[in-house]
Amino acid sequence: MKRLLIVFLTVFLTSVFAYADKHVNLGDRASELKEEGKSEDIHPDLKEIRIMHPNFLMHKRDKTLRQGIRTKRNSLKACVNCHSATDQNDEFMPIDQSGQFCSTCHQKVGTSLDCFSCHRNTPKEDL
Amino acid sequence: MDKCQTSIQKNKNLSRRDFIKTTATTAGVATIATGITLTTYVNAAGENPVTNEKRWGMLIDTNKLTEVDIDDMVNACQEEQGWGNEAHSTGNQKAGWIKKVKVKDKATDRISNLALMCQHCDQPPCVDVCPTNASMKREDGIVLVDRHLCIGCRYCMMACPYDARSFVHEALTDQKEHMPRGKGTVEACTMCVHKVDKGEKPACVEAVDSDAVIFGDLHDPTSKINQTLKRVQSTQIRADLNLNTGVRYSGI
Repeated sequence: MKRLLIVFLTVFLTSVFAYADKHVNLGDRASELKEEGKSEDIHPDLKEIRIMHPNFLMHKRDKTLRQGIRTKRNSLKACVNCHSATDQNDEFMPIDQSGQFCSTCHQKVGTSLDCFSCHRNTPKEDL
Repeated sequence: MDKCQTSIQKNKNLSRRDFIKTTATTAGVATIATGITLTTYVNAAGENPVTNEKRWGMLIDTNKLTEVDIDDMVNACQEEQGWGNEAHSTGNQKAGWIKKVKVKDKATDRISNLALMCQHCDQPPCVDVCPTNASMKREDGIVLVDRHLCIGCRYCMMACPYDARSFVHEALTDQKEHMPRGKGTVEACTMCVHKVDKGEKPACVEAVDSDAVIFGDLHDPTSKINQTLKRVQSTQIRADLNLNTGVRYSGI
């Protein structure tokens, strides 16, 4: 019985850890940064940013709009710049499009996101 | 058993003493450290909340401002902020962040042309009436719509004596990166807040070559706008409403 439990736990945990660090579509710049090992400078704790990003965004939007704090870490632009991917023609795909960074998780958990009905969903025009 | 208890007792006493010691040291360090971080925080430019030490304003001299200048201002605004090409909006649904207005003195037939946009009032009626606190005034006097909170009731549009605000009637794509705009929300001149925060001038001010439009800090006695306002006669549009506008006009 104990042995079975141990086997079950190992299988369960490995499957969790194997999945934990993966993202179907991380985006071009973000993938580069991850390969260079710099992703931890931006997101020191993956779990934190995954769970808390709606709160961060909510908090930072007020800081930017109401208090005029415009650093990279307070900017949705910076999120989009790193996490959007290009198609075959080297053009950026909308980040909220199906299969792209935002929607892969958001579709899975069935929550809609409303950022990009107003915000630009691709990096800057002249990039 | 006894031994054990005394050792626990000892530990407890020790830890209490330690606790007080460490608390005192931490508190001391914290007091000094906050001082240090506070000073460095203030020194780091561009990362701090805006304050009411500044009040951004504009002075428009209608004698110097030609009709071509006004068209340039409108075009510069459209290009900077990305409004004006809404395909399905018709007539008064169209966005108008900045408008060309012709005023005629009935007695003398004198015609003056104005560029009219959000006047960035000190006492903004749009902020007074907003039910969701979306319409807001920044500490430095710039009046904005927080579209995260805007429910599109358009009460502010009715309250504004300058007709400065517009409503987005259709779904939009390809917005400017610095200027999110979307269906169902109200928008208006932001005094190019994204540029001002970087230390630049608004797009419409840059579009005019002459000094017909002056932008600057109304509170700063060394600024050009402050000195010019001291020198020349100027007025606020609908000054009778006592809104203390940030945009002033001379020559009307």
